[in-house]
Amino acid sequence: MSGNQDTPKLDNTDVPETGNDGGEPSSESQQTDFTGVEGTKSDKQKIDILLKATGNAPIMKKKKWAVDPDRKIGWIIEFMKKYLKLDRSEQLFLYVNQSFAPAPDHIVKNLYECYGSDGKLVLHYCKSQAWG
Amino acid sequence: MANDREVLREIWEGRLPVCFQLNSEEVYSLQAPDPYYLMVPRLSYFPLVTDKVRKQFVRYIQPDKQEAEMWLDFNGQALRWHYPIGVLFDMYVSDIQLPWNITVHFDKFPEEELLHCPCREAVESHFMSCVKEADVLKHRSQVVSSMQKKDHNQLWLGLQNDKFDQFWAVNRKLMEASGDEVFKYIPFRFYCGEGPFIQRLVRPVTEEGQRKTLQHLIQEVFPNETNRKLKLMCHCAVHNCKDVNN
Repeated sequence: MSGNQDTPKLDNTDVPETGNDGGEPSSESQQTDFTGVEGTKSDKQKIDILLKATGNAPIMKKKKWAVDPDRKIGWIIEFMKKYLKLDRSEQLFLYVNQSFAPAPDHIVKNLYECYGSDGKLVLHYCKSQAWG
Repeated sequence: MANDREVLREIWEGRLPVCFQLNSEEVYSLQAPDPYYLMVPRLSYFPLVTDKVRKQFVRYIQPDKQEAEMWLDFNGQALRWHYPIGVLFDMYVSDIQLPWNITVHFDKFPEEELLHCPCREAVESHFMSCVKEADVLKHRSQVVSSMQKKDHNQLWLGLQNDKFDQFWAVNRKLMEASGDEVFKYIPFRFYCGEGPFIQRLVRPVTEEGQRKTLQHLIQEVFPNETNRKLKLMCHCAVHNCKDVNN
């Protein structure tokens, strides 16, 4: 679970803002965008996820995010596509343990409970199917 | 696992009689089509068994909808194609009346509730992901990654074509203990109504080395709810579905 104050929060309300931002938003502006929303801080402990690019996938400037435990993988993929300015038709695949692609309705809490380590869940992403 | 062959066979052969009916609001022709009846395997997925249903109903709907993705509902509840048919039945049909009456739609795809299923390959990659995930839990992914592409194909074709022997010739390897160790963890999912399922890391044996029972599992996952009625479904490399009242 997240207790890390340095990790920007990933909230529902932030997605449109991120989508409208410039091509490469600075790290500072991201910090403000994602931690500044006091109202959305829930009792639920957020979960730290670490997003690692594989193959030809573009690197995310900010790799570590704190997300609500009941967020779905599909939501994270949509968020990443906006953040990375991918076209809607472009595909993005997320992998756990570099071995399987969880279904879009898999929630972060389940994945963290089963595959998290060192207080975070590592997800690899790529633009073509990497591990089948 | 191999000793349970008869049980595995019984589970594999579980079938459900389903009555498919076209949503009456989407009937475009003068006369509504007759319902379409099928016996469907519990362990399969709807997109693998409903080609004929689509073919039957597509002639009766608006011509501009005929290319649309077909989706199903039971009692107003959209049915997720990526859950095994038996799991869906156990989740939504509390008062069992057969055949299972399912409504067929081509219009108003519920984007919020369902994933799109563009083709059979989508079912295949979903299924293989489930098999891989289960193997990560059971054998740290070692069995599935040591398999060849043809083994993966055989597993999938066995399920798709309802061939028990073909499927189990490969699945057997996924269900074996590696060396002295039983499974590292038990792959399972608790489906709780419409919400997301629950999945946790649970070892198959207690700290004293005793094999865990279903009761242990329920207590570990729901430590505070031992007195509540739970409906449980077990879903692993081969999807065994059971109802248990605790």
